[in-house]
Amino acid sequence: MTHGSTNSQGRQLAALSAPAIVFTVAMIAFPVVYTVWLGFHSFSATGEGSFSGLANYSKLAADGEFWNGLYVTFALYILSMVLQLVAGIYLAMLLFHSKRLSGFLRSLLISPFMMPPVVAGMMWLVILDPSLGAANYILESIGLPPSEWLASPVWVIPTIALIDTWQWAPYVALIVLGGLQSLPPSVYEAAQIDGASSFRIFRRITLPLLLPTIVTAAVLRSVDLLRFFDIIYITTQGGPGNASNTLNIYGFRVGFEFFNIGYSSALMITLSAIVLAAVLVLNRLRNAVAW
Amino acid sequence: MPPFRWPLVEEKMPRLLSVRAVAISVLLSGVATSAFAFDWKAHEGETVSFLSNNNPWSQAVLSYKDEFTELTGITLKVDTYQEQQMRQRLMTVLNSGSDEVDVFMTLASREGRQFAAAGWYADLSDYTQSAVAPEYDFAGISPALVKAATFDDKLTSVPLNLEGPLLYYRTDIFEKCGIAKPVSLDDVRAAAEKVKACESGVTPFASRGLKPAIAYTFSNVLHNVGGTYIVDGKSALCSPEGKKAISYYGDLMREYGPPGAANYSFYQISALYRSGRAAMAFESSNELRTIMEGGERLKDTDVIPLPAGEAGMVPTAIGWGLAISNHSAKKDAAWYFVQWASSPEIQKRLALQGVAAPRPSVAADEEYKAWISEAPVRASWQEALDVLASDGSSEVGYPIVANPESRDYIGQAVQDVLLGQKPVDEACAAADTALDGLIARK
Repeated sequence: MTHGSTNSQGRQLAALSAPAIVFTVAMIAFPVVYTVWLGFHSFSATGEGSFSGLANYSKLAADGEFWNGLYVTFALYILSMVLQLVAGIYLAMLLFHSKRLSGFLRSLLISPFMMPPVVAGMMWLVILDPSLGAANYILESIGLPPSEWLASPVWVIPTIALIDTWQWAPYVALIVLGGLQSLPPSVYEAAQIDGASSFRIFRRITLPLLLPTIVTAAVLRSVDLLRFFDIIYITTQGGPGNASNTLNIYGFRVGFEFFNIGYSSALMITLSAIVLAAVLVLNRLRNAVAW
Repeated sequence: MPPFRWPLVEEKMPRLLSVRAVAISVLLSGVATSAFAFDWKAHEGETVSFLSNNNPWSQAVLSYKDEFTELTGITLKVDTYQEQQMRQRLMTVLNSGSDEVDVFMTLASREGRQFAAAGWYADLSDYTQSAVAPEYDFAGISPALVKAATFDDKLTSVPLNLEGPLLYYRTDIFEKCGIAKPVSLDDVRAAAEKVKACESGVTPFASRGLKPAIAYTFSNVLHNVGGTYIVDGKSALCSPEGKKAISYYGDLMREYGPPGAANYSFYQISALYRSGRAAMAFESSNELRTIMEGGERLKDTDVIPLPAGEAGMVPTAIGWGLAISNHSAKKDAAWYFVQWASSPEIQKRLALQGVAAPRPSVAADEEYKAWISEAPVRASWQEALDVLASDGSSEVGYPIVANPESRDYIGQAVQDVLLGQKPVDEACAAADTALDGLIARK
């Protein structure tokens, strides 16, 4: 094959694949660029827009709802993340060590994350209804006081974190289980020969070796948790008051209910920047704990 | 701005007479020929897309949609969503100028000003005069509802129903606790207090507590105590009447409402009352059918408008309407669906399923009267609707373009008091500051 024909084939390949590449890049880039562009515009309640520079971003600093949204987003993120990692690791250990669990039971344990979040939200909304729900009925039947759950400004964040943990801890467990199955058996054999207890093996060997896997799970959950939307929208719509009004819920309502698309876009770009920063930090952490 | 009041019979007469005069002159002119030559099959073979809100009206009317296709030869493509999701889809479609949606349901009292200012509604005025079947009788639709759907002299939608919040209460519990039928707002509070002492297992009073939903029921309280949302161009939640209404509603819900009242909307209220776990429910007239499902509440419930405050009874009275998108490429065919769905025959059929008709003539229909007489609760429901029709106000939230956003601030102020998070002075002041900004926004 001559040098000229290789060049010709390369050009043909580039020409043939160019439309697909351009289309893919455009599909990814267009929504982002368009949202950035919208963020530099102000729109009236009837949808008429005009260029406003950084006005939407300077408005953020003075907007109490934005700061409340930021607080709620991070409170929910931290609480849910801790609960999901702890529950996920526990569930993974259970699945890894318990040989007696049937396939059906294993499937059942990891099934919640396969449920659409809207269905999960509706289900928990009914269960946690303070007057008619099963949760308070169970509490009262064992002599405990009822709770207002999602309707309490104090308990709404922990309650949503628990619902999300119920749904996503199995997903974390699956990732951790994969990590557990890839750990070198020789390290465990050496520890057992040295007479290390199970707890010591877990704390000194399993956990450190699993750290890269756990951080990977944390990265994946971070993206979802920081832009938490569906279950909150179904159960509380950001209430009571603004107690569960995350940045994502707030931005959505500003855009689609109040039709302030420019400000909503600025909120979403800010949220995207926060998600990106969190992922970058966690990625650095993952590199630091890699072995 | 004072709340819009429905015209009394005397006030209606000149308008009705003028409408009749126009109708007669139209009949005598050549245009009358086109009315009589109206052809239901003029758009046979076309497809009209309808964006529908999943509520009792749409559920009932869509059960007859095959009849529409049979009559007109027009295929109806229906997309049904829950109210909020429908609005989100609608605003995306309309704002992009797409002709994807031809006909949609709209609440003039909420988004009417906003959509009209954006030019999203087609003007239906000419259609109602010149493109109607002889039996249509547009003048038979409540003039007050037609007026509420008219912005800048353009008819933006045709009224489909009449609705407003009503007080459903349990006659058996009231009798057991020695409570008389409430005739004032103070009576309602006193009744709630007595029920709490007498029937501890029952929620004394249930109403909307979910932030975006509060304005619908709260507005009735505000108007009954003599308040209004805007005075001299400024938000008036901190007026004496505004504060009184916020305190009344917030305190009543906190002290006598269900646990978790701050998340309550129509779904929870109807379920609670229907299951027998609430003595009073202040909820939409539209919920009659849902509340009476299963028949358990048919014989122990009475329905009345919210009892009077210092300003008397000023019930909230609104209605859904059917609008045609200004971007639609099939406006003529779309009008055929609007006309069919708002015709006297269809509205009578829907009334027999508990969807209150915007045509006063339906109440006089023999078949409807027979349906009403089947259960005392239906008779009291109809009486309450008559009060809505004669004395109702359509002011739900601020009468401004940003009405939907204004409802959020009203809800926040009431929730602050309901949840005991702020005293009323602080709650109303925070809301007034935000609402003044909204009023000033163009």
